Amino acid sequence: MTTKTSSTFLAVMLIALVAAPAWAQPWQVDAARSTLTFTNTYQTVTYTGQFRRFNAKIEYDPADLAHARFDVEVDIASLDTENSERDHAALGTAFFDAARFPQAHFVTTAFRKAANGEVLADGTLTLRGISKPVTLTVKFVQKGGDATLDVTAQLRRLDFGIGTGEWADPSMIGDAVTVQGHLLLEPARAPGVQPAASARSG
Amino acid sequence: MPLRSTDSGWGVLVRAFHWSIAILILVQATIGLTMVGMGLTPAKVRVFALHKSIGITILALVLLRIAWRLTERRPADPAGMPRWQVRAAHALHLVLYGLILAIPLSGWWFNSASNAPLVWFGWFDVPSLTGGYDPVWKPRALLLHQTLFWVLVVLLVGHVGAALWHHFRQRDDVLRRMLWKR
Repeated sequence: MTTKTSSTFLAVMLIALVAAPAWAQPWQVDAARSTLTFTNTYQTVTYTGQFRRFNAKIEYDPADLAHARFDVEVDIASLDTENSERDHAALGTAFFDAARFPQAHFVTTAFRKAANGEVLADGTLTLRGISKPVTLTVKFVQKGGDATLDVTAQLRRLDFGIGTGEWADPSMIGDAVTVQGHLLLEPARAPGVQPAASARSG
Repeated sequence: MPLRSTDSGWGVLVRAFHWSIAILILVQATIGLTMVGMGLTPAKVRVFALHKSIGITILALVLLRIAWRLTERRPADPAGMPRWQVRAAHALHLVLYGLILAIPLSGWWFNSASNAPLVWFGWFDVPSLTGGYDPVWKPRALLLHQTLFWVLVVLLVGHVGAALWHHFRQRDDVLRRMLWKR
């Protein structure tokens, strides 16, 4: 190693160190390649739907769970179950009531490691005006400078008053809903502060 | 009443197919015309599910009926029936077969393109014909389903009218040989 390259290396390391934030690493979500899907049953047949628009703020470093934070806003009207009648009904007052509750919100309260080593994110989901604790299973895979974040949660639609009354019958619409987020993350590029970017180029 | 059709009358299987399908079509048409005007409730979902199940049943019966009919002869036409009437009657029957095959198929197609479930009387899953949602063909399939239904209604008026005309005006056995008593 020549003096020149080692001094460059040192400089990069120093910049990275100085620029390293006190909170966990912020990420930028590649919205075009990220999905927020769910599975449920309708007339006992399993179907998959998705919310096409959502905004996720992700701060996550697997080595620093104490400072990790997910904050996700979901545009309810972007629901798509590939069945226009079903989508139309789902946005109506008996179900999501998108006119009154246009957004769903999930924010983490704490991250922890389960006995089997899985990372769990406890948080609060506010859906249709009802807030309930929800736990996500977190799978975070870093590859180069980018990362993939897969989260899964088990919900009960009736906990949030989605399809109550005559629609509560779970043989018509299943109560259990599995939600899956698949996010492709890039290092957030705040102007002037690019710790991840310099780490990648160095 | 013989199992197979003879020169003088239809066999018991043909009659069973004819009347079971006729009754199911009447029930199915009534349900179909009623359900489209219903407000969205679980009852509507159940009535649609029933319509789909009956439709698949009709389709299966029609396929069995055609398969059986291909192994059979048809009874002789009444002596002295004009040639154009014989031709018209046979042509009408052929078109009716086509319609009672195409109407459930187009309904199944519409349901598939809509990405809607189809569980036969809650018993088993009937596969999709389109492999998922198809918003392009969905309205076309529905238009076909509805149009063919109204064509069937018109032709059935002719079918029933012709049967009654044979029975009451011609006093031949065209209707009787399809009825149960003989």
